[in-house]
Amino acid sequence: MKKANQIVEYVQANREQILKEWSEKLILMDQQRIVPVISEKVYINICNDYINLLITSSTNQQKNNESMISEFTQKIVQLGWTLGFIMDSLSEFGKIVFFPMADKTSEKEQVEFILDYDRWISPINVAVYNQYAETWQRTVSLQKIALQELSAPLIPIFDNITIMPLVGTIDTERAKSIMENLLLGVVRHRAAVVLIDITGVPVVDTMVAHHIIQASEAVRLVGAKCIIVGIRPEIAQTIVNLGINLTQVMTKNSLQKGIEAALEMTNRKVISTED
Amino acid sequence: MVARIPILKLYNCLLISIQWELDDQTAIQFQEDLLYKIHETGAKGVVIDLTSIDVIDSFIAKVLGDVISMSKLMGAKVVLTGIQPAVAITLVELGIHLQEVLTALDLEKGLETLQRELGEKAWRTNPM
Repeated sequence: MKKANQIVEYVQANREQILKEWSEKLILMDQQRIVPVISEKVYINICNDYINLLITSSTNQQKNNESMISEFTQKIVQLGWTLGFIMDSLSEFGKIVFFPMADKTSEKEQVEFILDYDRWISPINVAVYNQYAETWQRTVSLQKIALQELSAPLIPIFDNITIMPLVGTIDTERAKSIMENLLLGVVRHRAAVVLIDITGVPVVDTMVAHHIIQASEAVRLVGAKCIIVGIRPEIAQTIVNLGINLTQVMTKNSLQKGIEAALEMTNRKVISTED
Repeated sequence: MVARIPILKLYNCLLISIQWELDDQTAIQFQEDLLYKIHETGAKGVVIDLTSIDVIDSFIAKVLGDVISMSKLMGAKVVLTGIQPAVAITLVELGIHLQEVLTALDLEKGLETLQRELGEKAWRTNPM
């Protein structure tokens, strides 16, 4: 590993040169992919960070490496760089450092040098990749949880009347959680009528309709009534064109009509007060 | 020995609370008992409370459906009450919709439903 020190020394000595070369290369690479929205300074900063990381991690003890690496990757993730781009740029860095150093050596020495070099830089790069993947995974799982929280709220609006507004595409997984929330909510709130508002559901295909019908059947079994509200004209058209039979389910075109119907079913109505 | 499910008479209604998971034998026995009881008492309404049931298989569901149809033939209206959400989901997924069956959230609401279905007279204490 005596070569490692040599490399670090080289990097430290030629830092400015490497930084310049590398960041220019990165900017060139990135411009081929996407519209350049990131200023050049950011590239230089990132490159600088990486070189710092390399130098400290090879001179320092193992201890604070991990936190440094995770800090670095978090920066990258926030910038929205893809993993592919990072891998490319790190290998680019390798080339920039490697070729000038290995220039005047014999072939045998070069092979040895490659091995040493690889041994030196691989762990750091692998750690960066791992951290990157981990950060992404964490983000995705957080978003999944957030989505789940948003996916199926049940709101009691009057005694015995609750409403579940649905927004966004319904897939099988979501339909399941909708159904569970709906039924548990009906039992908890002792609802007599449940309104399912599908105004915010962009597409109603056979699958979605099937889930809605199932949900309303289940609601009936639990002992409440279900009204589907917010049927937009295009949804009505798709439903009929697809030949979906929604006759067992009560439907209304707007939430307002639905609430009126629900009140009627529970023997109440809205009246205006006289002045 | 098959465990029997108690059937209680309340005015002109029959009350059944199923407290444990039914096995096939008990279900069949229950079907017989209930029909016999309807015949015996001339009850107009039946409330079957399933609050304590967490699992229902397709056979039990079929038996329940059958019992309900049979009771209807004998002139008694049946209300299922307290079906748990999990049970409802299972039933729907099994494709058992128990169409035309009255349901209610709990016993109280079930009795109200029956009262409505049978007309005001149902709850009078007068003899049947």
